Amino acid sequence: MLARRYVFRLIALAILLVFAAFFFVPIMWLILAPTKTDYQLVHESPFAFGSFGTFARTFSRVINYQGQLMLIWLKNSAIYSVGGTVLALAAAIPAGYGLALTQFIGRRALLAITLVVMIMPATALVLPLFLEASAVHLLGTVWAVILPFAFFPFGVYLAYIYFSSTIPRDLLAAARIDGAGEWGVFRHVALPLARPIVALVAFFAFVADWNNYYLPFVMTYTNSQYPVTIGLQILIGSAPVFSPTASGFAGSEIYRPDLAMATLIAITPVLIIFLFAQRTLVQGMLAGATKE
Amino acid sequence: MATVTYKNASRLYSKAQRKAVDGLNLEIGDGEFVVLVGPSGCGKTTSLRMLAGLENVDEGEILIGDRNVVNLPPRSRDIAMVFQNYALYPHMNVAQNMGFALKIAKVKRSEIDTRVQEAAAILDLQDYLQRKPGQLSGGQRQRVAMGRAIVRQPRVFLMDEPLSNLDAKLRVATRSQIHALQRRLGVTTIYVTHDQVEAMTMGDRVAVMKDGVLQQVDAPRRLYDSPVNAFVAGFIGSPAMNLMQGTLTADGVMIGSTVVPVPRDLQKAAGTGTVTIGLRPEALEIAGDGPGIPVVVNLVEELGAEAYVYAQLAEHAALATVTRTPDVIVRVDPHSAPSSGAKVALHVKAESMLLFDSESGARITGAEQ
Repeated sequence: MLARRYVFRLIALAILLVFAAFFFVPIMWLILAPTKTDYQLVHESPFAFGSFGTFARTFSRVINYQGQLMLIWLKNSAIYSVGGTVLALAAAIPAGYGLALTQFIGRRALLAITLVVMIMPATALVLPLFLEASAVHLLGTVWAVILPFAFFPFGVYLAYIYFSSTIPRDLLAAARIDGAGEWGVFRHVALPLARPIVALVAFFAFVADWNNYYLPFVMTYTNSQYPVTIGLQILIGSAPVFSPTASGFAGSEIYRPDLAMATLIAITPVLIIFLFAQRTLVQGMLAGATKE
Repeated sequence: MATVTYKNASRLYSKAQRKAVDGLNLEIGDGEFVVLVGPSGCGKTTSLRMLAGLENVDEGEILIGDRNVVNLPPRSRDIAMVFQNYALYPHMNVAQNMGFALKIAKVKRSEIDTRVQEAAAILDLQDYLQRKPGQLSGGQRQRVAMGRAIVRQPRVFLMDEPLSNLDAKLRVATRSQIHALQRRLGVTTIYVTHDQVEAMTMGDRVAVMKDGVLQQVDAPRRLYDSPVNAFVAGFIGSPAMNLMQGTLTADGVMIGSTVVPVPRDLQKAAGTGTVTIGLRPEALEIAGDGPGIPVVVNLVEELGAEAYVYAQLAEHAALATVTRTPDVIVRVDPHSAPSSGAKVALHVKAESMLLFDSESGARITGAEQ
């Protein structure tokens, strides 16, 4: 018996290791790639380490590509994502609260609609949104990107779940009796207790906005407006390896390690945000509200 | 401070068969302490929440002072409520919890501090003002909930089973504290509980409810001595009143095979047929081997100052447990309690006997009542 259990565990471990390796290898490769030159990348082992000097040179080449275009893209991504996240929060948190804890005609219908639009692929809406933005002359402005980002039904649903499952009704009743109006109840009681869900929705919204490619691709026209996702595409387009017709300016050729570097730079802000958000996501705010 | 009046107030939940509160009429005087009591589902909490504005009033009116509050939101009713689970704001410390209503009312900071300090002194909470509710014991949280109510200086206090989450000893102590506090502040108070002992010890008057209908509202003493029906008789008092079926005869009422004399006027009012006989445990005494209802003692419960004898009518004692009538409970002196298994006779203090219509449960009263 014991031997059999041992064998099963070994098999399970082996399967897990294979899968772990499968997902880990590309990340490993991505982190190692900028330490090598293009020649080393192609001819040496995929897991070979180049040198820190090469890493620094690659970094500087990416940052300085065409007058620090990378920094402009990062700044644009930040503007779009922060703006979109702030608006998404301003809409999603009160909406989730309203759906969870107040009574009004059409509440169930709204909840159903929220679910439906949640499963709709965001890409499907890009074209009608483009026509809409065009009709109100917002194309080419930051609002053409930020306003669609504010539409975040998943956040509404998360907030709805949180409010309906964690806030005792009597707590709101107590605030109403204490003299608070509906806004006061939300502002003084529900919102302070919603910090974990605000952090969670903010994080998801930010990541979704930061990684969005297609919407800003349709809504913006110039290098100075593009976010970093489109920037990466442009970099790939200007790498001779991937597009033989591309002829970079002297000294500004893009090679494969540079693309890996650009990718790393593009995901770093999200990683940093995650590390900060994680702290706030810790629960425990409701301890002691009521006696169970 | 104000009077509270329920005028034919009803609450019907959609999809429910019967009204949760059915035509409640109740007048509560200024400064009075009224307890709503009844088994769970009797509508007592719903009645309270209707007054608070947390439940709709589907029919009738509720007045605070002489103002109909039915269409006012909770915040405009000038009431304070203590919830069963306290409902303290977990993100605020004790002082902020107690001062929240004043902050909303835009009272000056210094005034809030003064009033919170005063309330904290009354409730012995001065050392805990900076703590969050999560760092307090159950009893302390209960006091904070009380403090939040009294800081307001509202016109009416509403309390929804505020003691049910405390352990037995603390509950008894807090019971008298709340009672004393209410006397001192003189604020009209409506208190909901399912515990009839709590109701009897705290209320100036007690309102007994059942199935959404108010059965009787009276001073505790009168509720105990003159219940209007068999339900109130059985609900009030611990141990409960003995309720037995009996047949009226020319000489009295027959319990088992023993005829027990009934006061003349009561006998006259009752007529003939079957009745429900109500006898408090203290309305019976052990008659030794003299004349009386023969019973077999099942169990003796010693409580120190008194003892309760649980006994079965002798002619039923041989029956299987399921077909027996409930035990008759008799209060006795613990020093002369019979031992279990003993056969004794019970003597009925006829003047303490209550009779109820066996169909409607309504009390049958003699001429002098």
